[in-house]
Amino acid sequence: MPADAALPLTSRAPHEVIFHRGREPVTTARFLAEVAALAARLPAEGPVLNFCADRYLALVGFAAVLSRGQVTLLSADRSPQRLADIARLHGARCALADTEAELPVPVLRPDAAPGADAPNPLIPAGAVAAIAFTSGSTGEPRPHAKPWGALVAGARAAAERFGVTSGTAIVGTVPAQHMYGFETTLMLPLHGGGAGHAGAVFYPSDIAEALAGVPAPRLLVTTPLQMRAVLGTGIALPPLAAVISATAPLDPRLAAEAEAAWGAPVLEIYGATEAGSVASRRTLEGDAWEPYPGTVFAIAEDGADVTVPGLPAPVPLSDTLEPLPEGRFRLAGRRADMVKLAGKRASLAGLTRILTDVEGIADGVYLAPADIDDNPRARLAALVVAPGMTPKAVVAALRGRIEPAFLPRPVVMVDALPRDGVGKLRQAELAALAWPRGPVRR
Amino acid sequence: MTTTLSLEAEVARLVVEALHLEVAPEEIDPEAPLFGEGLGLDSIDALEIALAVSKRYGFQLRSDDEMNHRIFASLRALAAHIEKNRAA
Repeated sequence: MPADAALPLTSRAPHEVIFHRGREPVTTARFLAEVAALAARLPAEGPVLNFCADRYLALVGFAAVLSRGQVTLLSADRSPQRLADIARLHGARCALADTEAELPVPVLRPDAAPGADAPNPLIPAGAVAAIAFTSGSTGEPRPHAKPWGALVAGARAAAERFGVTSGTAIVGTVPAQHMYGFETTLMLPLHGGGAGHAGAVFYPSDIAEALAGVPAPRLLVTTPLQMRAVLGTGIALPPLAAVISATAPLDPRLAAEAEAAWGAPVLEIYGATEAGSVASRRTLEGDAWEPYPGTVFAIAEDGADVTVPGLPAPVPLSDTLEPLPEGRFRLAGRRADMVKLAGKRASLAGLTRILTDVEGIADGVYLAPADIDDNPRARLAALVVAPGMTPKAVVAALRGRIEPAFLPRPVVMVDALPRDGVGKLRQAELAALAWPRGPVRR
Repeated sequence: MTTTLSLEAEVARLVVEALHLEVAPEEIDPEAPLFGEGLGLDSIDALEIALAVSKRYGFQLRSDDEMNHRIFASLRALAAHIEKNRAA
């Protein structure tokens, strides 16, 4: 769509249910009234850091900020230091939060107060609606601007791909500020279809309760870790229309178990914070990924990029892709240095650099276990040369500088790293030092 | 009090085994936070603990916000929560 086009805040009809707050359905008309009420309370200028845990408040906050022509900063990492960094680096004027927070900017608590009927404002498609963040190679938050047109196009593509109708209830277990959670649980109700679910959903019992509290058809948006936990607990789920999984590769055995237990197709989304959701597949139908409508992959020897409707330039991908007929592709692994844990990506070289920058550490290296690509519970290890330091002290020094998911486990202290004649690290020996009992399937 | 103490030791063992931690169960400070500054656990670990607790003690952990902060405040708090909720 042309960048000068304008798209409404929502394409849902006024009487349609756009969200479920507990057992209370919220119509689009009521949502727009609450958005207008909050928009009136916002400072004159953005950007606004939004880290509401309640998904409905997160959506009202995002929409209010957007309707004022301001930008929302989305941080999947909720640690106080990271939030403060983002607020400072990007000049946030205020934050929207529903939990206690100490931040260098004023914190506003969005409340969902019913107001008078409010308009459905038009937003320029080219306007930056949100900025999502990834960790750069040195750990600093790296911004990725999301034009409004790209977010809307993504929501429409997802609704078409997953057959989300206006009556579908969407229960998500991923934070609203994670790009995958944002697209599936905020943008989908806003522009695709379906009604979101507001509450905190994390543990297996939360998932079962949340699903039981919304009308069918039900769509569960989750992660391999949580699917594994629900199946492991043996907790029963009400009938599902479909399950969507992302953030980590889904083991086909787990997908088969889930489809058998829940009687619903298990679908996976392929995406990245930079590009958003760009392809999907039904895990049990094979390893071919089907690009989202309008999305084009360019696959070359030295890497792949993806052209996404609404984004100004092709986005390079950190995975190695193999082209298949009809525009589809297969994932042939990741670029060796990039690892992904708990839905976040980092470079081993970058982590190693942070490690060896710690005072008292003479040498060190971050390692990924052999099962990192198919075991969502895998952890990184670190080998460290630091006379007089304990593993505990190493972890303490890294905390706050590295996302918790990437803190090394285990940390193994060694006298020297095994290097060959030209000083290159011997990978097999490194692995043997880090995991002396061999690869463990956790 | 002896039951509480031994349950605390049992939960420490459960946590170390479920999470493959590199510490001995008796090394865990019962008053230190399990997440962040203390043991440094994260959300992946929280799910693992929930799974292990449901298997061993027959009840489910839940996300009732503030409650959850208290339960995971320390090993002692987690053990007390288990004591109160475990299936008889």
